[in-house]
Amino acid sequence: MTAFMTWLENQLAENSIFTLQTLSYYGDGLTTTVQLVFLSLVIGLIAAVPLAIGRGSKHGWIKWPIFVYTYVFRGTPLLIQLYLIYYGVVFVDGIQETWLWVILEKPFVPALIAFTLNTAAYTTEIFRGAIKSTSKGEIEAARAYGMSPRQTMRRIIIPSAFRRALPAYGNEVIFMLHASAIASVVTIMDLTGAARFVYARYYAPFEAFLFVAAIYLCLTFTILYFFRYLEKKLLAHLQPQTS
Amino acid sequence: MIDLQGYGPRLIEGAGVTIQLAVLSLILAIILGLLTASAKMSRSWFAHRLATLYTTLIRGVPDLVLMMLFFFGGQIGVNMITDWLYYSFDIDIFVNINAFVAGVVTIGLIFGAYMGETFRGAFMAVDNGQIEAGKAYGMSDGLVFRRIRFPQMMRHALPGLSNNWMVLLKTTALVSVIGLSDMVRVASEASKATREPFTFMIIVALIYLLIASVSEWIFARLQKRYDIGYAEAD
Amino acid sequence: MAATPIPLEVRNIKKRFGDTEVLKGLSLTAQKGDVITLIGASGSGKSTFLRCMNLLEQPDDGELIVHGEPVRFKTTKHGREPEDWKQVVQMRAKLSMVFQSFNLWAHMTLLENIIEAPIHVLKKPKKEALEHAHALLDRVGLSARANAYPAQMSGGQQQRGAIARALAMDPEVMLFDEPTSALDPELVGDVLKVMHGLAEEGRTMVVVTHEMSFARDVSSQVIYLHQGLEEEAGPPADVLGNPQSPRLQQFLAPKY
Repeated sequence: MTAFMTWLENQLAENSIFTLQTLSYYGDGLTTTVQLVFLSLVIGLIAAVPLAIGRGSKHGWIKWPIFVYTYVFRGTPLLIQLYLIYYGVVFVDGIQETWLWVILEKPFVPALIAFTLNTAAYTTEIFRGAIKSTSKGEIEAARAYGMSPRQTMRRIIIPSAFRRALPAYGNEVIFMLHASAIASVVTIMDLTGAARFVYARYYAPFEAFLFVAAIYLCLTFTILYFFRYLEKKLLAHLQPQTS
Repeated sequence: MIDLQGYGPRLIEGAGVTIQLAVLSLILAIILGLLTASAKMSRSWFAHRLATLYTTLIRGVPDLVLMMLFFFGGQIGVNMITDWLYYSFDIDIFVNINAFVAGVVTIGLIFGAYMGETFRGAFMAVDNGQIEAGKAYGMSDGLVFRRIRFPQMMRHALPGLSNNWMVLLKTTALVSVIGLSDMVRVASEASKATREPFTFMIIVALIYLLIASVSEWIFARLQKRYDIGYAEAD
Repeated sequence: MAATPIPLEVRNIKKRFGDTEVLKGLSLTAQKGDVITLIGASGSGKSTFLRCMNLLEQPDDGELIVHGEPVRFKTTKHGREPEDWKQVVQMRAKLSMVFQSFNLWAHMTLLENIIEAPIHVLKKPKKEALEHAHALLDRVGLSARANAYPAQMSGGQQQRGAIARALAMDPEVMLFDEPTSALDPELVGDVLKVMHGLAEEGRTMVVVTHEMSFARDVSSQVIYLHQGLEEEAGPPADVLGNPQSPRLQQFLAPKY
């Protein structure tokens, strides 16, 4: 054990890459990644609920625009969406002179917009699938007890659909975490941005990228276990009772 | 008519790169996926562990990070091997990891892990009685695989395969970041040069949607073919 | 006398699943033209016994001799296994099995099902296999359904098709694993009629069944199994007509 500790100390002392300075880049990168992913997921989730309900609407003018939106955003690479918004904003004539420029100047906001639009599209379809798979019997029962369509949606369909959507939504969260790596392409110093910086500075691809891969792996597993825990708590009623 | 300002031919070339990259990666991913699925179903403890490690690692790390690791790290790794060959055996070779190869290998490796899960589930969905009937009629394991398990597995695997392909197609956009001139990179260069990002990005987005729609149609045809014999089951 | 080899000989087969011993030493000899029926309550081990005969289950102990050739076994860390799987494959080609749940290959038409093993296992020319297949389809009364997929056929048709598939192998012995148990009662008759015909033309058969009438009318020997052991065996007139053991008497007693 002591031998291992001395070995570790020597390693740390010898290495010129993982200094306090570079570790702080990774730390800042982690903060940026978490902010970006968390904010886009929360906003996307809030937007997805009404969109999912609207997607199943009887009215074409509600249903079709939502369908086109989810189809386009799920059918094209996130990178394109990011470029479109990032460059699009920069090249809009006269935008530099307005107050908007103060927030749009930094790439964080265009990236947040692109990620939010993307995750909202995926989440909408996840919810819609869950809403559609609500058992007819439960809906009929609600009707039979005199619930209005609106009440049925709010009291019966949505709560059960939320639970059924959980596993797929867990995947979406992990997908967003991984997709967020492309933020570094538009010069955001997220986790991957930090790794690219360290790589460029020390020309040490293995150290730079393996370290960041390990951090992503830890984040992924944290999310995975969190959702497993949630599923266990919220989906317990669907499991057969063991006596 | 939309003015492409001379970028039209390069966009078409870029689309060609995207499609080639996607198809080659898909082939690699299918091979890796079949190997992974067999390893996961095998009795060998080692093969099972190895396959689990592979799928876990790949699925826990962003595509872009893996791609950069292979592209930037791959060259150094290959250089180390060629240097060693040179000093030890006086063999002088130079291997250049180009972005296309790095792209195919990375995307193939990533989706091999996903395909592994798809194929494993599909193999397990094949009714055991179908396999037993093959064995009972004197078929060797290889023959049972080729004539019964594989064709029946494909029916169950196709939806997942189609899904993976759609995601794979979009993932190819990432190669533009490591310098490969796929259509996303062409569009991004054109956007900067002409200051008209909307024109180029939307064209590329439409090409992606077009490829996706065509593949959807192809997969529907394939599904129909593999559904033969099941369609009229109640 | 130039003795032809005995089609199937099984000696002292033992098999356990985990802690339960399912087969406690069972033997059987099928001479050419024999129709042996295995009867017994569910859980008596009769299906497992049949599945041990073509090694769909690996017996833990015992001998298996097909057409005079003993199957060689070896012991590995996974238990007892055949020494040479090629030998098993050849051996299985001589024993065709008909399953309870038919197990016609779902992605092939009935005709394709029938010619599959003759072409790929026995390496017969396709033309010959097709001719044989059509003759067999005619015989089981399914000529009209040659190009149907299993899912498009009734259970009775599927089982008759499966019998045609088994016959296409020109088997030494046919193994039937409860061939009528998954069928609606009104479809049982057609399948039994086909089996009856096979017995009459001198096919060697081992049949696991609940159909006592078939056991009585067709078989040359009946074996009653109880908890993995042979409780009574002999010609149907003795075993079914004059059962000795109280358990068999109870088993045969009308259930109303």
